[in-house]
Amino acid sequence: MNGRAVAVLRLALGGAGAAGAGYGILLLGRLDPGQVTDVGRWVLGGVVVHDGLLAPLVVALGALVAARGPGWLRIPLVRALVVLGPLTLVAVPVLGRFGAKPDNPTLLDRPYLAGYGAIVAGVVLLTGLDAVRRRRASRRET
Amino acid sequence: MTAPTTGRRLTGAAGWLDERLPRPEQFRSELRGPRTASRVGAWLGACLAVAFITGLFSHAAQLATPPVALPTAPPRLYQVTQGLHVAAGTAAVPLLLVKLWSVFPLLFRRPPGRPRALALHLLERLSIALLVGAVVFQLVTGLANSAQWYPWSFAFVPAHHAMAWVATGALALHVAVKLPVVVRALREPLRVPRLEGADTGAHGDPTRRALLRATWLSAGVAVLATNAAEVPGLRRVALLATRSGAGPQGIPVNRSALAAGVRGRIADPSWRLRLTGPAGARELSLADLRALPQRAAVLPVACVEGWSASGTWAGVPVRELVALAGGGPGDDVVVRSMQSRGSWRSSRLPANFARDPDSLLALDLGGEPLHPDHGYPCRLIAPARPGVLQTKWVGEVEVVPGEPA
Repeated sequence: MNGRAVAVLRLALGGAGAAGAGYGILLLGRLDPGQVTDVGRWVLGGVVVHDGLLAPLVVALGALVAARGPGWLRIPLVRALVVLGPLTLVAVPVLGRFGAKPDNPTLLDRPYLAGYGAIVAGVVLLTGLDAVRRRRASRRET
Repeated sequence: MTAPTTGRRLTGAAGWLDERLPRPEQFRSELRGPRTASRVGAWLGACLAVAFITGLFSHAAQLATPPVALPTAPPRLYQVTQGLHVAAGTAAVPLLLVKLWSVFPLLFRRPPGRPRALALHLLERLSIALLVGAVVFQLVTGLANSAQWYPWSFAFVPAHHAMAWVATGALALHVAVKLPVVVRALREPLRVPRLEGADTGAHGDPTRRALLRATWLSAGVAVLATNAAEVPGLRRVALLATRSGAGPQGIPVNRSALAAGVRGRIADPSWRLRLTGPAGARELSLADLRALPQRAAVLPVACVEGWSASGTWAGVPVRELVALAGGGPGDDVVVRSMQSRGSWRSSRLPANFARDPDSLLALDLGGEPLHPDHGYPCRLIAPARPGVLQTKWVGEVEVVPGEPA
């Protein structure tokens, strides 16, 4: 992409983006004031929970692994964290079964704790095998 | 060139914060930065675009009178678009988290002192906060909705729709601002020159390639574990799907007859369907309905929550009812349920759907009379429509003039 194409694309994207976001805020304004406040609370809550809680936790974990973890363990651990962390968040609604209704047995009808446990066990097993393989390789090198 | 000045000495609360908060350069991982952010961001943007477009389609399909006539074929259309909607949103969770990780140090940039630069800085921060807040909002509310969990007081549909525009608009604005950085970063090689080796850098540190592969893997695992139930043959893999797909007559239930408060009315032997149209009003018993021309069709119930299940439905084609009521091919059909509470008590079938031979007022599912939870004595089932519009426990069918095209 040459400079001119980038400039045109930026202008078009920026204009469309501002218009779209403005339209969304307009739509939001049609809700009851109480509902708008609650939407605002959830939007702000998402930023606060990520930036103030989740991200610092991951930074601390990363620092711990970088400082204490042996080299052969680092890639397997990063993989396990990147796969299991988001999956755990995605699984919260089904693990908690918060939406379950006594009159509807077809909703949330799987053994989620067992299913989640099976996925975690699988990832831990693969992580362990990968770590052992890397440890042997690193010993052979030295 | 003069060395950049470190700026004023901050005092009071600002100084206290400045001393305690980390600085961007203190984050040591080499894997953060534009090269990771651009690549993960491109896939995140693609997922959010798919979710936005399929979401708008779903929204249009749920309007009483869509802005343009929506296609009635293929019958699985809505099943596919809504499955994509939920899958794209699920894949966006790991992509968003890794994307935010890759740019997290920027959160700790100190604001510049000059007023003009400060204003631009604050404007950019505000737009990023809106973007992150809106996208997190969409993913959280969407995932909770698919498990029918509503831990908030706002109405899900209008809030999710409004915030979709905010999120997508803020995303387009963000891409416009960052485009030169993105173009430059995507042209640069993935590997930092001093980190050589297959996927292990110096001291065994993960490389960018290893991190990106783990991210794609994470998105794949999340989608398979929650959404694979919709793909034939993969149902067993979907250990975290909100529904196993089991249910009375082989189809899951969204709202039961008990929850809809119709158990008394549907058990009443004197039940009659009220049919109104240009030829006036008439009442039809279940026997009358069975005496009308019948048709069977294999159609999916495809819910906004992302699940779907197909069944063989049989009953009276809606167009037979339109003809009986004295209507024509240009007429819409309004179907009203007997349910006394809950949303989606009625739906409007646009003329092109009412004309479709497979749009049925179904009496049977899988060769048996409908289960009470599937809408006994009769329900609407039409191709390529959201599940919430497939009105159950129908009490009244009204033929009305269609919207002029």
